[in-house]
Amino acid sequence: MTTESHRSAGPTARRRILRLLGGLATLGLALPWLKRPAPEPLPPQVLSLREADFYRPHDLAG
Amino acid sequence: MTAVTCELCPRGCVIPEGGAGDCRIRVNLGGRLRATTYGRPSAVHIDPMEKKPLYHFLPGTPVFSIATAGCNLHCLNCQNWQLSQRGGEEMEEVYRLDPPELVRVAKDEGCRSIAYTYSDPIVFYEYVFDSAERAHAERLANCFITAAYINERPLRKLCRVIDAVNADLKAFDDGFYRRVNGATLKPVLDALVTMREEGVWLEVTNLVIPTLNDDPAMIRRLARWVHDELGAGTPLHFSRFQPQYRMRNLPPTPVETLDRARREAKDAGLEHVYVGNVLGHAGNSTYCPNDGTLLIGRVGFMITHYALTADGRCPSCNEPIPGVWRSADLFGDEP
Repeated sequence: MTTESHRSAGPTARRRILRLLGGLATLGLALPWLKRPAPEPLPPQVLSLREADFYRPHDLAG
Repeated sequence: MTAVTCELCPRGCVIPEGGAGDCRIRVNLGGRLRATTYGRPSAVHIDPMEKKPLYHFLPGTPVFSIATAGCNLHCLNCQNWQLSQRGGEEMEEVYRLDPPELVRVAKDEGCRSIAYTYSDPIVFYEYVFDSAERAHAERLANCFITAAYINERPLRKLCRVIDAVNADLKAFDDGFYRRVNGATLKPVLDALVTMREEGVWLEVTNLVIPTLNDDPAMIRRLARWVHDELGAGTPLHFSRFQPQYRMRNLPPTPVETLDRARREAKDAGLEHVYVGNVLGHAGNSTYCPNDGTLLIGRVGFMITHYALTADGRCPSCNEPIPGVWRSADLFGDEP
């Protein structure tokens, strides 16, 4: 019986640094996408004045 | 001083000058009724068709889904209350998406249909109608997800441009409608019959709420009515309730209750009865009513198995399955 893992011995220090740099670069590229703005919402008070269908006006004055 | 009576829904709100209808978004300005959220949605998403839920209409396709603020019902268990129980001026986000732009964006995003949904699209009726007309011109289908609390005249006009409806039938009890939804039952039943008469593809959803509308006798009456008035092939979805908004005092619906409701509906003769909001339930899937073959397997909103023939038949016994299975069924083959 051996205590040796069946996995590889793991990356060297140089590879670890390269992976870290690669990760940072990927994050840098992704940031603009992550921060992509949603479509610009209108100020809430900007509502439509489209006339509705299906209504009946009537004079309340007595 | 000119008041107006809104004739869109059975409420028939009489709105004084400067006032709004019960839906909050139809406003009387100078004696004219204005649809203040026309072209101003506050929710815009791309959803799978299965989320609507529409299980027999262009399955597996993405749907461009929109809603504006406002609703003509006030359900205590509303799951979109931040949208439905507010007026347009109260929304944090309001987008400008007039009908031509809406249709263009839906098409650019690869959707084959537009769904008017989330709140009740009845209240943004004019926006739906104009968008739906334009969508048809671009070979996009229109789906209307509603509680069907609408008057006959506007509904018949709307049916000319709507291809599929999922309508809530919240309970088969007028008292329930009055207490829980602030509405009444009869206009809803009338609207469903009108939709069927007009030839719109129709599926019905019943949200089963513990102790309020889960009585087996009531579910049996509901299922029989769907069978007799809308037809045995009408898909009926029993959805699981989750406590929210002003109804947090009740637990989620036990799955056994939904199973029992499904059995009652099948015993009433309905051929396609589904269980919703329960991930991985066998009742999410579509089976041949003739020989039981699994036709469309679903897990959540995903299709995991599809065995229908191109013309919507069971591959083993050739039974036709009601539904709209291809865009070509609506618009003919691509030119």
